[in-house]
Amino acid sequence: MIALERASLRYGDILGLSPLSFELPGGGGITGLLGPNGAGKSSLIQLLTGLLPPSGGSVRVFGAAPYRNPAVLARLGLVPEGDRYPGAFRGDRWLRMMGQLSGLEGRALDQALARTLEVTGMADRAAQPFQSMSKGMRQRLRLAQALLHAPELLVLDEPFNGLDPEGRLQLMDLLRQLAAGGTRVIVSSHILAEVAQLTDRILLLFRGRLLAEGSVPEIRELLDRHPVELRVTAEAPAVVARWAVDQPELAALRLEPGGVVLAVRSPRAFLPRLQAAVLSGELGIRALEPLDLNLDAVFAFLTKDNQ
Amino acid sequence: MTTRPLETLRALAFGHAPQVLQGRGWALVALAVVPAALGCLGQSLARQVDPRLALHLFHQALAPMILPIMALAAAPGGIREDLEQRTLPLVLVRPVPVWILPLAKGLVWFAWGAVWLAVGALGLLAVGDAPGAAALQALALVLAFWAELAFMNLLGLLFQRGTLWGAVTLFGWESLLRVLPANLQRFTFLHQIESIAGSRGGTVSGYEVLAQAQVSSPAWMAAMALVLFGALCWALCGWKLQATPAGLAGREAEG
Repeated sequence: MIALERASLRYGDILGLSPLSFELPGGGGITGLLGPNGAGKSSLIQLLTGLLPPSGGSVRVFGAAPYRNPAVLARLGLVPEGDRYPGAFRGDRWLRMMGQLSGLEGRALDQALARTLEVTGMADRAAQPFQSMSKGMRQRLRLAQALLHAPELLVLDEPFNGLDPEGRLQLMDLLRQLAAGGTRVIVSSHILAEVAQLTDRILLLFRGRLLAEGSVPEIRELLDRHPVELRVTAEAPAVVARWAVDQPELAALRLEPGGVVLAVRSPRAFLPRLQAAVLSGELGIRALEPLDLNLDAVFAFLTKDNQ
Repeated sequence: MTTRPLETLRALAFGHAPQVLQGRGWALVALAVVPAALGCLGQSLARQVDPRLALHLFHQALAPMILPIMALAAAPGGIREDLEQRTLPLVLVRPVPVWILPLAKGLVWFAWGAVWLAVGALGLLAVGDAPGAAALQALALVLAFWAELAFMNLLGLLFQRGTLWGAVTLFGWESLLRVLPANLQRFTFLHQIESIAGSRGGTVSGYEVLAQAQVSSPAWMAAMALVLFGALCWALCGWKLQATPAGLAGREAEG
């Protein structure tokens, strides 16, 4: 469905996106674009949605270059970042116009409007001017315009910004439903927890480069190359510390009141031995808490390596 | 499923039509009808009809002042508005012919402004204008509005400060009409307007410094010049938008 071959993007003298290559298969699924501000997420989205042509390399979406290509654009939807909206419009009229621009008309347009307003929860509230809507309502309408023509590829740039917790959960559910129905969804975010909850595949971007690509478990595998911090609360922290220094995976150790923090390489090998020591009564452990065994840790490690 | 040019034109024009009923649209209405309204008021206060008043209002107010201000005010409501509100990407990711977008958005403002300019010109009948002259004046204003609006849209796409360059052109260059050499006079909107309307806004005498003999063009030729110039400007707007990659603007493009 999507194939980038050394695609890059320049803004004048500034390199927005270094040459990067990856492929995404067709069919449903959710892919996360992850990275801090300035990582190149929006640049990549602009290439994928045909807003900008690549400065080098090639971008193929549905087998063709998307830039100013109606045949490709008819099959994708974009929810851009930011609270952008046409100030003078009423929501429902704007949506109708967007549907017409997507080639819908007559009964098909009416049905598409009713369907998308229903799934975005705006059926009763769309007949208001944009200016009188809340940020969350405007975000829902932007999502609705991208769904009107039932795109096969849906790209959302930081879609959770401005949504309340309930709205976020609803949007996540909706995206999961779309993905289950065969839509390929690409979501960018700089909030790792959002992406980890939602996606089955991650592209990790940093300073215009693709740092890593893979599923959430695959990204977690990268942890094994780096020390992971575990806080062990114990009756006798010194005993735990003495046991730990004999383990080959230990990288560092820090004593705290009532416990010890272990920095461990390859936790997959270390944790079963710790478990065995606890079961044998060798160690009196009250609690074991991973301090950074999550996606944030992967991101921090990888970006640290690349700075 | 791709959207054809005429469908795009229709969707955008009808979609944006209600916008003319907001502030900018009513400002255009006010501008267009104010000269005739003031003329009526002045005549009713003076209790006499001055046969020259209609010509004065047309040549001193409507053509050189009101019309350019209306073009300058209406143009930012066109495609420039989408650029500034950063909503253009929402349209560009749709399967539409990009080159038609400036005309589609400008057409609404042209239609609204043209109707009220015609009303304003025909309103001069109330201050003593001849019916035949008022009709030609209305035609001249409408055609000039078509050309000036297209020109302003083009400047808005070509330059960051398009409105400023537009103002310089419409108030600076145009004001030189009486002193421009004969062939250069034909490169002013006022020359075309006066040629269509069949009357002049001023006279020059040989003893005036820099004064030039005024030239005339056939009315049909002046009308064609305005229509074709407007069409050329809209075409160039379309070409410019088609040829210019327009992505997400500002900070968002960096993320």
